[in-house]
Amino acid sequence: MSEFSNTVVSTLGPFVGQTAADTCVRATALSLGKTTDDLSAADLPALGANVRRLLGPIAPAAVIEDLIAEIERGIA
Amino acid sequence: MSATRHREAPAGVLSSLTKIGAIALLALVAVYGVLSAGMGTDAIPEGSVAYAAAYWYGTLLQVFFAAIIIAVAVNIGVRQNVGKQWLLVGLGVAAFAIGDIIWTVLELHLGLDPYPSVADVFYVLEYAFFVAAVVLAIRGYRALTDVRLPILVAGSVAIGLVVLIHELLLRPYIFAAGTEELGLGGLVVSTLYPLGDALFMVAPAIALALAVRTLGTGRLAWPWWIVVVGALVFAVTDAGYAYADWAGIGLTAILDLGWLTANLVFAIAALVARDAYRTR
Repeated sequence: MSEFSNTVVSTLGPFVGQTAADTCVRATALSLGKTTDDLSAADLPALGANVRRLLGPIAPAAVIEDLIAEIERGIA
Repeated sequence: MSATRHREAPAGVLSSLTKIGAIALLALVAVYGVLSAGMGTDAIPEGSVAYAAAYWYGTLLQVFFAAIIIAVAVNIGVRQNVGKQWLLVGLGVAAFAIGDIIWTVLELHLGLDPYPSVADVFYVLEYAFFVAAVVLAIRGYRALTDVRLPILVAGSVAIGLVVLIHELLLRPYIFAAGTEELGLGGLVVSTLYPLGDALFMVAPAIALALAVRTLGTGRLAWPWWIVVVGALVFAVTDAGYAYADWAGIGLTAILDLGWLTANLVFAIAALVARDAYRTR
């Protein structure tokens, strides 16, 4: 996994567990036609869209936005 | 940096308010346990002011639990999917609380036998709201996991429980007593409760537990695990009540505490949800 992917998993993991966090990363990679190793900071918009879609039904919107912002800070 | 903070500090998720609140709620229920035991052994004589006060104390605790859950749901935002899920849990407990108020008025103040009565309509409503909450929650996991297996397993368990209930309770006792002994209303509610527990409490709880398993130790799963425990306490209490009633072994203060404990657990789950849905 790329550093970007690791940051995403370590940020989302405590909230949604390792499996769901991995699903968010893999769904993003799939939507971009990449592997999880190829994901980078440039893919943040796609990641945000996938995280909102996958976690939207199980978490409040504010939490999701905070997590995306935290990922952004983590990879900056 | 922040990600590391999250990873290292999952134990600090629960706020002092939640911890103290949960302990206070447990203490309130424990007080009712003592009162209920007193009411059962004539230490608090029936017909006394103390008896009525103790009776209402237990009833109003249910209202308090419903208020906590609904407040958490409103705080999350009831337009959001997750807020709706908690609102439905809260409305279920509120329906039960209304049933308890009606039951208390009928039995304590009007001297009527409240079983069956209009109170049962509200008790049964808790099933409907609970199922709606769980269905909404499970649907939320569809994008993350295959929810067909949890539904299949829960459905199989439900069928097994229905067969068991039919053979152990409905056929030998309730259907045998029929409308002659129970009246139509009594027959309907006596059938509805055990089946309702299997179909609308235990089965949804199993499906929810299996769906939430996807989140592993993720904190968003914590409140739902607690909800599963509450549903099982509710169902076990109902089963214990039905058994004690039909086997003629008498009802105990512990049984009386069961429904209160189940709704207490739902309220604690809501408090935990309040913390679990926080990022800072």
